[in-house]
Formats: sequence, C-alpha cells, structure tokens
Amino acid sequence: MAGEGRRKLLAVSSGGGHWIEMRRILPAFDGFDLVLASTDPGPDADLGPVAYHVLPNVTRKNAADLPRLVAAVIGLVRRERPDLVVTTGAAPGLVALAAAKILAGSRTVWIDSIAAAEAMSLSGRLARPVADAWLTQWPHLARPGGPEHWGAVL
Amino acid sequence: MSGQENGAGRPDGGGAAGAAAIFVTVGSLFRFDRLIAAMDGWAAGSDLPVLAQIGTGGMRPSHMDWVERLDRAEFERAVAGSRLVVAHAGVGSVVTAARFGRPVVVLPRRRHLGEHTSDHQMETIGWLRDKPGIWVAEAEDRLADAIDSALAMPAGTLRTLPPVAPDAFIARLRHFLVG
Repeated sequence: MAGEGRRKLLAVSSGGGHWIEMRRILPAFDGFDLVLASTDPGPDADLGPVAYHVLPNVTRKNAADLPRLVAAVIGLVRRERPDLVVTTGAAPGLVALAAAKILAGSRTVWIDSIAAAEAMSLSGRLARPVADAWLTQWPHLARPGGPEHWGAVL
Repeated sequence: MSGQENGAGRPDGGGAAGAAAIFVTVGSLFRFDRLIAAMDGWAAGSDLPVLAQIGTGGMRPSHMDWVERLDRAEFERAVAGSRLVVAHAGVGSVVTAARFGRPVVVLPRRRHLGEHTSDHQMETIGWLRDKPGIWVAEAEDRLADAIDSALAMPAGTLRTLPPVAPDAFIARLRHFLVG
C-alpha cells in the first residue's frame, strides 16, 4: 500500500439480504482500513471488533425518512473520508455513493443484488452516475457501457 | 431475543428460546402474515415443533412458538438447529439455509398484497426453483406439498454453501479496489 497508512474503505448496505451479500465479499477488503455501515442495530458478533455505524433504513414504504438517511450518511462520509466505497444496495448504499463522490472524491462500486435477476434494481439504476464500477450479478443483464458482470456472490 | 415479544404456541412448548424442527422466517424488513397464517394452520396439524420469526407487528401464531426478530447469531442457530426452513423468497434466508445445508421452502412476497415494494421475489423464485434443496410454493396452498417434499429429503444430504463468494469474483473486486 502506498503512503503511511492503509486506505480507508467504507462497506455500506441495507440489512437483511443485502448485508448477507456484503458479508460474502468481505475478503476483497483485506488490508484496507475497513468501516462498515448498515441498518441493523449492531455488527454481527462473529465479525469481532469492527468499526460499525448504524444507518436509518429507507425503502419505498418509508421514503419520507430519506432526509434522515441523507443526513446520517453525510455525517459518516465527512467523519471517515473514505478512499473507496462499496455497496450491495439498496437506498443507503445509493446515498453513500453519491455523498462519497461529492464530498470525498471516493472511488465507488455498486453491486446490484443477486435478487435483481431480470433488470437492474431501481436504486442500482439511480446509482449509475456515481458508481465507478457499476455491476450486475447476472451475465444476461450486462451491456456495453454498463452494467458490467464480474461475477456473483453465489 | 430479550426485550422483545415472543410466545410459545404450544402448551408443552419450550418457548422461543431453542431451535425447532421447522424454522419459519419472514426476514428482517417487513411482516408477512400470509406466510405466518398458512404455517400456523400447517403447524396445527403437525407434531413437529415449529419456531416462527414473525417480524415486527406481525400476526401472533397460536400453534407455533414465535419471536419477532433474531440477530445474526440467533438466526443462524435457528437455521442450523432445524430440519427445514420455510421462508419468504429473500436472499438472506435462502443463503443462510444453504450455508447450513438445510432444505428451504420459499413463498414469494407479492407487491399487490402489500407484502413488498416490488415483485422481485417472483423474479427470485424463477432462478431458485431449480436449485437442489430449494422448493418453491408460488402460493400458500402449495406450501404443504412443498414441505412434504422437502422433509422427505434425508437429513444431511445437501452440500453446504461456502461462506464467501467465489474466488474469481472476490479477486476481480479486489483488483479494482487495490488498483
């Protein structure tokens, strides 16, 4: 690694299935100064001591909570100033990519959920302008110019 | 599980503390009363102990032990200790069942019933249905047959899913991140 310290990587996702997908790619983050953010009240116990931040969850059912999510993400990005941000979705990840791009110039990765088997998810489509790597987990959804298919969590 | 509601559906039940032969889960986001009601009805006619994770604000079953939510460790214990998982068609539930080599029956949430914000679980069952150890019930009237089929599978015959993504995907991601 160049420089005096490890680069900082923020791994952010909604809870539930999105988080389980993120857990499956954690080995890709070895050697980075890792910060996790998700919507569950705390990190999984088996992760041991980790830097973990709780974010409000926002889905189409509670879109009115979006300002609260945006504020929380902006605070997180300002504090952590990540060099890289990786998300497996959904809305919290989208907001994190946008905030990191604008506030920290981070390098960003969007990985659309494996559940999105027939088309990119809505949040995935919205993430396109703020994702340096814009990925689908389904080969048949890859297109010239994006999204790309690099593999899948299963 | 402390600090939240749970219940024992059977007079001789051990409460919601331990694993049960059948573990029912609606996932961590929204309740799914159609699944819980159908499984409550199924449990009424079965001797097998059933534990249901019913979500916040979900209907209370009468014939199953239940808990509103489980943390990651509790959830994995419930799956690992079961013979069969019955779940919404969510990636987290299916992956966790596969991690422990447990058969899983899935019922997809439907958007038009207010069970999710889109019909992506219908997409999910399309690619899940051919996988070993996964049985799809498109609607609740198909659950009993799916459960019978899944229970007929001898215990321990399913391979367990590795805990992390395939090496090639991780390597490709890492190459981009380190680069």
